[in-house]
Amino acid sequence: MTPHHLTIHEAIAGTVAALLLLVQLALFRSVVLSELITLYAVQSLFVAGICLDVGIAGGAWDLIALAILTFAFKVVILPIYMRGLVRGVSTRVEIPSRINVLLSLLIAAALTGIGWLTAAQLPLKAGAFLPTADLATMLSIVFVGFLVAILRPNAFAQVIAFLTLENGVFFGAVTLAPGLPFVVGILVLFDVLVAVVVFAVLVRILVALRSSAATTQLQELIG
Amino acid sequence: MTLVAVMIAIPAVLAIASVLVPSRIAGPLTALGGLLTAACIIAADAGAAAGAKTPDALSAVFLLPVAVIYGTVGLYTQWYVDAQSAATGEGERYRREFLALTNAFACSEIVVPLLTNMGGLWVALETTTILSALLIRLQGTAAALEAAWKYILIASCGLALGLVAVVLLYVSAISVLGDRHVPEWSAYLAAAAHLNADGVRLAFVFALIGFGTKMGLAPMHAWLPDAHGAGPTPTSAMLSGALLSDALYAILRFAAIANLALGPGMTQILFFVVGLISLFLAAFFLLQQRDIKRMLAYSSIEHMGIVASGLAFGAPLAVMGALLHAINHAASKSLAFLAAGRLSERYGTRQIAGIRGGIATLPISGTLFALAGLSLAGLPPFGIFRSEIMILAGGFQSGAWILAVVVTLLLAVAFAGVLRWVNATSAGVARTGVHPGETFGVAVYAMLLAFAVVLALGLIVPPQLTNLLERAMAIVGQAS
Repeated sequence: MTPHHLTIHEAIAGTVAALLLLVQLALFRSVVLSELITLYAVQSLFVAGICLDVGIAGGAWDLIALAILTFAFKVVILPIYMRGLVRGVSTRVEIPSRINVLLSLLIAAALTGIGWLTAAQLPLKAGAFLPTADLATMLSIVFVGFLVAILRPNAFAQVIAFLTLENGVFFGAVTLAPGLPFVVGILVLFDVLVAVVVFAVLVRILVALRSSAATTQLQELIG
Repeated sequence: MTLVAVMIAIPAVLAIASVLVPSRIAGPLTALGGLLTAACIIAADAGAAAGAKTPDALSAVFLLPVAVIYGTVGLYTQWYVDAQSAATGEGERYRREFLALTNAFACSEIVVPLLTNMGGLWVALETTTILSALLIRLQGTAAALEAAWKYILIASCGLALGLVAVVLLYVSAISVLGDRHVPEWSAYLAAAAHLNADGVRLAFVFALIGFGTKMGLAPMHAWLPDAHGAGPTPTSAMLSGALLSDALYAILRFAAIANLALGPGMTQILFFVVGLISLFLAAFFLLQQRDIKRMLAYSSIEHMGIVASGLAFGAPLAVMGALLHAINHAASKSLAFLAAGRLSERYGTRQIAGIRGGIATLPISGTLFALAGLSLAGLPPFGIFRSEIMILAGGFQSGAWILAVVVTLLLAVAFAGVLRWVNATSAGVARTGVHPGETFGVAVYAMLLAFAVVLALGLIVPPQLTNLLERAMAIVGQAS
């Protein structure tokens, strides 16, 4: 069997995929909201980077443009906006987890393993950019994102969980399905922006109504 | 300009106009636009039944629920914004925002079934989530905020899984269609035999969970009773009648590919699982509801479970029944929500315990609510009776006797639940302190129009609709 030599672009993509996953796992370590926002910005930076990498490797101008837009929205605008929102609520928002960090990480590691095992079952080699690693990373980030949303009963943390989960799917879409129409990429960004604005309105009103953004207090609609 | 362009352009233009012109002008324009759009959809569907390629039969079938609902909700909204403004003191800004968002939401609901590009389909569904969450928020109550919050969080996470499904399908086709192909449904269908089977299998599972969340299938339904219950009445009707159908449309596009690539076995088993869980859960929750709109929301989960069961049986009669059921449910449920909105406005409560003697208090709305309830419970001569019988007969025909019996039993439980609450709210004498009597107005005309559709679908299925359903069934059923 001929050994496969990684191109520089594939090497970058593989490294960034690993970093994306590490950032996702780091979400469990932090209990301070501003740190969670920073982690999201860092993860988004990696996603923008990989989008640029795939765009340059394939000579795809649409992906390069998408990388620039991703950087502008997810690395600069949204984190700044969310920081402003946090300052309006409190100077230091602490978000406890339902279970301790170690156990959270163990469950996250198990979910990551499931993501990798699932991806390994799919012999998808042809043409894609590091397919197995990318697919596994996408699935793992999605699974771990759900875990964050479940373990952190707080509106802000759940927004971050959704946004990182979306980062994972966006990463998968860019690396595995570069032929998805450019407009899909743009509208994904637009959706994220609008979703955050809706979240912001809701959080502001929730905080005003209930003096907290803890979703455990959302108990009006049951049954 | 083609009919398709017109049916998208009307609500889009009205959404912009509602922001720019006073609501006293935008309101009647919305009513007129709703009716015109419905006429365009019916004309386009007649073309599809005659063999036109755009929209195809499956798209045409799923445009019908939107036609029924936008046509009636457009009229009803005029009364609703007036009543809401009077009750809460909301001013012109609220009216404009409500009309603009309602038209934009209708536009997005029309776009979804017209799309066959899998990426575009996902984007359109995500857009419906954003617009409808904004509408639910407009209600302004704490419960509405909580509902909007849960809705956007759960639906967006669900749709993220839907995008994973799109990506997985794309990856499964790379070896056949290349690594920069356009994710067009017809291309996938043509290449179905050569797609990576494991990839397609996983893509369908993610599609069913992701878009199934939006469709309100249990166990991903948690947002639905809150959003449908706490949202504004016209929005509840649009959510329950048209949006659930839109999500079903997306699932069916995936199912058609999976059926052809893998055979119908896997999709049928998964439809059975989610269908039976939905039916079971909804049937028992229906028995213990206290809120009239939440009761209708659980009824939606029940009916989506019936549709999933019909698709699971796989027999042509059952699949055709499932498609017809989506249309029947949209018509009956929108009528029920519109009438429930009138009742809760008059009684000043949504609690079933507070609404007594609905027919005596509001002779038209109360009667129409009772009739819509009977239709939703599955009684003749309404359309739901016909489609449920088709699904059950198809189930017995397919040889899945035990499952057909289980579905029948769960339907009986749900029947009891719906009838219990319809009887409690409609019968008896008017409650003291509540002013009885009702005059004709736009809301009544809207409900009478919706009732005419409910009744017509029960009395006769036009040959054009049968033709359309058969063509759509061929697309969905493929190998089933």
